Amino acid sequence: MHEPATAGRSGRRLAPFVSLGAAVVLAALFVVLANSKADKPDVTSSFLYGKPAPAVVSTTLDGETFDLSRRKGSWVVLNFFQSTCLPCKAEHPELVAFVAQQAGIADGAELYTVIKDDSDAAVAKWFADNGGDWPIVKDDDGSIATAFGVAKVPETWIIDPSGVVVSRIATTITADFLATDLEQLRQAYG
Amino acid sequence: MTRSLKRWPSWVLLVLVVGGLLAVGAARDAAPRSPKERVEEISKRLACPICDGESVFESRNADSQAIRIEIARQVDTGTVSDDQIINFIEQRFGSKVLLVPRATGIDALVWALPVAALVCAIVGLGFAFHRWNIAADTIPDDADRELVAAALAGDADIGEGDGS
Repeated sequence: MHEPATAGRSGRRLAPFVSLGAAVVLAALFVVLANSKADKPDVTSSFLYGKPAPAVVSTTLDGETFDLSRRKGSWVVLNFFQSTCLPCKAEHPELVAFVAQQAGIADGAELYTVIKDDSDAAVAKWFADNGGDWPIVKDDDGSIATAFGVAKVPETWIIDPSGVVVSRIATTITADFLATDLEQLRQAYG
Repeated sequence: MTRSLKRWPSWVLLVLVVGGLLAVGAARDAAPRSPKERVEEISKRLACPICDGESVFESRNADSQAIRIEIARQVDTGTVSDDQIINFIEQRFGSKVLLVPRATGIDALVWALPVAALVCAIVGLGFAFHRWNIAADTIPDDADRELVAAALAGDADIGEGDGS
């Protein structure tokens, strides 16, 4: 009656390897989880960097046609805005200051507001009450926001004179920050 | 007929049933889908980018609606696959919108670990069943009987010695 004893011995021989295998898997999981990035919002990176800006053809609140591809030759700043968004409201005076600042520069940037999930009337009223005379682009079906991957506002994008996406700021900006960023991009652009 | 031969029809039957079910499951979705069905299937694989726990298909907010419109637009072109459309949305909104993890990189662990655990469990059960079979099949041979007899004789000797 030697077989059970043999099986017991083989089981005992196998046990350390099974334990080692389980320990290796657990250690690998620990390493993976320890090195994984925390789920923080990424405010600067974008798949669109260095790529031509998505095609944007829409109308402004003034009824003018807006075609982003026709803006080549100019630095373009797109700011996604919603009148019920508090950070957007807080940012607005900075955008007013930025536009005034850029007006004094030879190749000053053109600012466009893109309405994000809001009524035209509410946005028009906000601008009437709080200033800002730059074009406001409608995005009724959300296609512009989807093309840029904008989920939360405010979000600001910079497109260089060749129509390439060069910057994305997915948080509230200030006039100075935007102007400095733009100046660095101008120098890099040559 | 040995016990293993008696058992094999049940194993063959099991393999046939499982194989049949897998074949039916694989063939069920192979029928051509309408554009609407494609849009629904793709939007069910994507999470709403601004809400928790809802797919683009379920969500009623403007962002999900805009993504559904974009999916429908790309489906209507007829030139892009489901995976290409999902990749388009993922590139813009990030991997957080993927409800079904990718099968590459670290995400592949989500698929690989359960399979590895299943394989380990099956192997472990196999070892356990093997040991139980060995224990059940063990029949004392002559050597075992001699050992038992010798042991009993020894006990008898000790008992007689104690009594004297």
